[in-house]
Amino acid sequence: MKKGILVLLTTTLLAVSFTLSGCSGGGEKGTLQFYANGEDFVRQGFVSKDGWSIRFDHVYITLADITAYQTDPPYDPHMGDNINGKVTVGLSNAYTVDLAEGGEDAPSILVDEIQNVPAGHYNAISWNMVRAASSPSAGHSLVMIGTAEKDGQTVDFTINIDAECSYDCGEYVGDERKGIVSDGGTADLEMTFHFDHIFGDAETPLDDELNQGALGFEYFIGYADGQTVDINMTEMHLGHVGEGHCHCLCD
Amino acid sequence: MGAKWKLITDLIFTLTLCLMLAVPAHAHGAKIEYTVDVVIEIVAAYDSGEPMAGAQVVIYAPDDPTDPWLTGVCNDEGRFRFVPDTSRPGTWDVQVRKAGHGDIVHIPIGEGSTGAGSAGGYTPLQIILMAACVIWGAVGTSLYFWRRRA
Repeated sequence: MKKGILVLLTTTLLAVSFTLSGCSGGGEKGTLQFYANGEDFVRQGFVSKDGWSIRFDHVYITLADITAYQTDPPYDPHMGDNINGKVTVGLSNAYTVDLAEGGEDAPSILVDEIQNVPAGHYNAISWNMVRAASSPSAGHSLVMIGTAEKDGQTVDFTINIDAECSYDCGEYVGDERKGIVSDGGTADLEMTFHFDHIFGDAETPLDDELNQGALGFEYFIGYADGQTVDINMTEMHLGHVGEGHCHCLCD
Repeated sequence: MGAKWKLITDLIFTLTLCLMLAVPAHAHGAKIEYTVDVVIEIVAAYDSGEPMAGAQVVIYAPDDPTDPWLTGVCNDEGRFRFVPDTSRPGTWDVQVRKAGHGDIVHIPIGEGSTGAGSAGGYTPLQIILMAACVIWGAVGTSLYFWRRRA
């Protein structure tokens, strides 16, 4: 009889304790989705700073080690430090996505999602741009395939870039606030890629810092047949979070 | 003696008159009170240094990251001022955007900034119950071996 009471008491204590642990703040879970976005520059094409009208058929980019963080104080990419997250969740696989997929009004590309992540505000994200292990962009971290036209001249191009880069970014800056996971809800984060930083933008003044740092399209004509282009991708500032900046390091 | 009393009487009269004249002056007085507020001024500029004149400003209070607490527009110098609600301490997020350019700045206000990441904490009740379970387990184990030896 006594033994039965002891067992009952112990079981009750353990059950109550586990239940309360499950009800703590860490118990609220939701889903976090990760998107990649080449913006309208990739989907609709644009005119480079040197007057080439560029349209993309495919833009393959390979992303790995995609990780989201809840940081406090919020991560500041301008400082260039590592991200220290109070809560960290990540994807272990590498993903090759085609940023030009879909039509001109196509939505961003869903890379993957993680379910049952702790609720809260994921206000920082990091990822690596790495060389793909398999086709369609095997051996390259970024492959841009398309057509460029200027003054009646047409160039079909395949531009291969092998540089591997790490991007540490703060909070998404855009029309909406992203990364706020509520209990049972779904939130998303976006890895945004600004290709006007590589080719320049005719709609932006030539003396603007964006065009000053961009290479233009003619730089790539000699490599348009698929030769690998060796450019300083750190200075291209390709990766963003919406309009928000990232700290970038490339090999 | 009479002159002295007259002087005193004149002084009293003069003082009374002054006081009587002074009374209406209170009706035209000024009362100045003051409060001290934290005023935050942000200055937004492009990388080139050009002010972000007319840029959209969106401010989020620490306890509500979803709904903007205040929205506004930068002036011609790229400046925007606001008075945060200091009863809501923590990190205030200020986003500034214009024509595809933007950034966000995080401003700590007050003491004990509130962080979004509170996962992993335990309440006192949980701690007590967990401690009770550990003690109970230890006592039970001791009793078990003590009984077997007996």
